[in-house]
Amino acid sequence: MAMSIFHRATGIALYAGTLLLVIWLAAAAIGEGAFASVNALYGSWFGQLVLFGYTWALFHHMLGGLRHFLWDNIIGMEPGEREKLAWANLIVSIVLTLLVWLIFVWVG
Amino acid sequence: MREKVITTQTIADPKTSYGDGKAASRHFIAQRWTGAVNVLLVGFLVWMVVRLAGADRAEMISVVGNPIAGIILAVLLVVALVHMRIGMVEIVEDYVQDPRTNRLSLMLNTLFCLGVGLIGVIAILKLVIWG
Repeated sequence: MAMSIFHRATGIALYAGTLLLVIWLAAAAIGEGAFASVNALYGSWFGQLVLFGYTWALFHHMLGGLRHFLWDNIIGMEPGEREKLAWANLIVSIVLTLLVWLIFVWVG
Repeated sequence: MREKVITTQTIADPKTSYGDGKAASRHFIAQRWTGAVNVLLVGFLVWMVVRLAGADRAEMISVVGNPIAGIILAVLLVVALVHMRIGMVEIVEDYVQDPRTNRLSLMLNTLFCLGVGLIGVIAILKLVIWG
């Protein structure tokens, strides 16, 4: 049950987060100075924290969406299966987020 | 708030806060195909953002300024905006009961998504065409 509101909450977070992508693109289009400011902001510890949260919200919402595709096809709706899917959704989203940051940010 | 009897006509009337009867099926279907496109393109988005994290402007233009990457990014942005507009419509229909606030929220939602899309697509076009 909590996963339903998580899906909605991550959806709202991504709604706001789309602004981050567009601000980044617009800054690059505007010029050197604007792009450097946005890069500095996104590269700061707070920016990185927000982007980390954004990565998790993205993966969580994507997996939640895949779960909805399963349900649309009447798969995984039984009591035990629903709970397993909910846990899988949460765990896989955390694993994917950590993998992306571990491989591309912290190591690479 | 519940003294009024809710009939099928009430629900079908888009001027009430019970959702848009005519658009609902279209929204349901569009939410699914835009979601599927987003799943397909999420890898591209993550690759591009990670590839360009902390990059200087010249490097960014070498990636986003590539016409194919630019088109994929623009498609991704527009499809995601359609998806998030419908998602927010659902949230407004669920929580904003007052008809006037409801219509205002729906309008602001559409304006936000249109505005973000316009700025994003223009920025991508600028990067592709002029660098």
